Amino acid sequence: MIETLAHLGNAFAALTTWQMLFHAAWATLLGIAVGSLPGLTATMGVALLTTLTYSLPTNAAILVLICMYVGAIYGGSRSAILLNIPGTPASAATTLDGFPLAKQGRAAYAMRVATTGSTLGTMVGIVLLIALAPALSELALKFGSFEYFWLAVFGVIISGQLTGGNTPIKGYIAGILGLMVAMIGSEGIHAHVRFNLGFSDLNGGIGLIPAMVGAFGFAEVLMVMWQPKADMVKSSREKGSGLPRFREAWKYRFTVLRSGVIGTFVGLIPGVGEDIGAWASYAAAKKASKEKDTYGKGSIEGLTAAETGNSAVVPGALIPALTLAVPGSAPAAVLIAALFIHGIRPGPMIMIEQPDFIYSVAVMLFLATVAIFVFGISLAPVFEVVLRIPRERLMPVVFALCVIGPFALTQRLFDVWVMVVFGILGFFMRRFGYPMAPLVLGIILGDLLDKNLRRGLTLSDGDISPFFTRPLCMIFVALIAFTILAGIPFVRKNTSGIARSLMRTGKDAR
Amino acid sequence: MRADLYTAPFLFLLGAAFTYGGWTMDRLEIRQIHPASIPGLVPMLLGVALAIAAIVLFVQARNRQTAETAPEGTKDTTPGSLRDLAKAAALCCIYALGLVGNIPFGIATALFITCFVIAFEADPPKGRAHLIKVAVIAIALGILVAAAMSILFRYAFLVRLP
Repeated sequence: MIETLAHLGNAFAALTTWQMLFHAAWATLLGIAVGSLPGLTATMGVALLTTLTYSLPTNAAILVLICMYVGAIYGGSRSAILLNIPGTPASAATTLDGFPLAKQGRAAYAMRVATTGSTLGTMVGIVLLIALAPALSELALKFGSFEYFWLAVFGVIISGQLTGGNTPIKGYIAGILGLMVAMIGSEGIHAHVRFNLGFSDLNGGIGLIPAMVGAFGFAEVLMVMWQPKADMVKSSREKGSGLPRFREAWKYRFTVLRSGVIGTFVGLIPGVGEDIGAWASYAAAKKASKEKDTYGKGSIEGLTAAETGNSAVVPGALIPALTLAVPGSAPAAVLIAALFIHGIRPGPMIMIEQPDFIYSVAVMLFLATVAIFVFGISLAPVFEVVLRIPRERLMPVVFALCVIGPFALTQRLFDVWVMVVFGILGFFMRRFGYPMAPLVLGIILGDLLDKNLRRGLTLSDGDISPFFTRPLCMIFVALIAFTILAGIPFVRKNTSGIARSLMRTGKDAR
Repeated sequence: MRADLYTAPFLFLLGAAFTYGGWTMDRLEIRQIHPASIPGLVPMLLGVALAIAAIVLFVQARNRQTAETAPEGTKDTTPGSLRDLAKAAALCCIYALGLVGNIPFGIATALFITCFVIAFEADPPKGRAHLIKVAVIAIALGILVAAAMSILFRYAFLVRLP
């Protein structure tokens, strides 16, 4: 405990210089603006900013990226409330109650509730990050090749299952496609070049940043230009103080706490992300609520739950990203790539090699949270102006950044082509209902899966039994089997039928 | 979704191709590596997994199509402007694949942004004054953004621009 406080104190002292606070301020502000604008997502913001922070010192660069991430997830609530379009997918649940409130002429009030919810959600997540990350890191030290293989498989499967909606198979396909992308280029054990199709530029594989900038940047540009324009709710000038709604936060304290915990744990699940965190928190709040009828019609509790839930996912997603190098969300995946670029090696060794780093991340999240709180309350009208920027003027600027960003990292035009290819692929995947998170996760986990399967088989001399008999492997196998079975409609229908009949039998017996 | 019926065979073929690619990949016998660590192992497994997933997707799509009534089956077609999409995609591809690398980055970016804004904002029936206004805004935005980006990347991030 004292050691934790000492680490936090050190991190706080190192990160509260004027220079760092300036970085936190502009990056959060930019993040809120990016999140506010429909079509610009947190992943895209983090990916583009990664290319701009290349020359910054490590701590400043990571602080900037985390502030962008937190700011963008929070910023999505602005357009969700004012336009009924989530600025980022994370704010989809926010539209359900945020927009009805805006239509009632209470948009500013809704934005203050969203600000308070996001602030408290991130705070709950930060506390859990500090509590869980060192323990998870210690557990991860027990992982061998066999366990890492299953962890990678589990990540892709659970991400596909939870983000695939009604058709989990599309989530699995997206994950497999991501793993296939990771197979391109020189493999990690014998340095044999695979699937380079005769292009020597592919020998090093597909870069994560160009792929992400394409899949989340160019694809979004195409989506935005394709979709019809949205109408904004008339600017609200309702009476009432501009101060945050702590009264509501206290009234719904259990909802805040529950949503914060749910959000953080959803963040822990590989590649699931903020949107699922918000939906899960919203559903749990509705189930436990005494005022269920108001949900979907401008419920303050519903809005609080959605915003607390999505913001709590951010620290949650960073827990596996830092301790296992397995991202909890798509922006966290880009953040992992950025950590490698800046010389930090996420994974189980992080608590041994850089024990201060996890606490530094917690303090960075705290600074970002303070910034969203201050800006969210004081600059609400400015963000309304940002929302009025015509897409026809914004999108070409975004695309120009998508071109120069990947180029700036490696100074290769090939990465610009990769960005374009992934942009077109990403557009069609979205259009046909394939989730993007498993694709990202697949690209990140491909190397982990490939190396650990072959290394494990070499260690066991070709025997596959250790993959099924080691204790942690058995847990992973059970979880994977359960996840896949739960996704099969026939099994789901029959098991719920059996469960219902068992419950009925139990009741009859009583 | 009806499109699944067409994407599933494509995904199946991709899976089959990946499996074939993994199977025929060099097994590095000359280096005497462990046979269980051949580079083609995981691609083969992924190819098989994708092919199976494609079959499941096809079967599910076919079942859904027969179960659904016709009007509901068209629910997934979000209203969007194909013309706008084609225009945006063409402009972006010309810029990224044609202009960048062949002419200086600043000029390419200014041209792209100007053309993009004009292509989407100019509405000839609104008259000459409107067209002049759009053109001025487009040119100003193009030059401003191109100059800012070029200066930022060239001098702040020390990038040798294409």
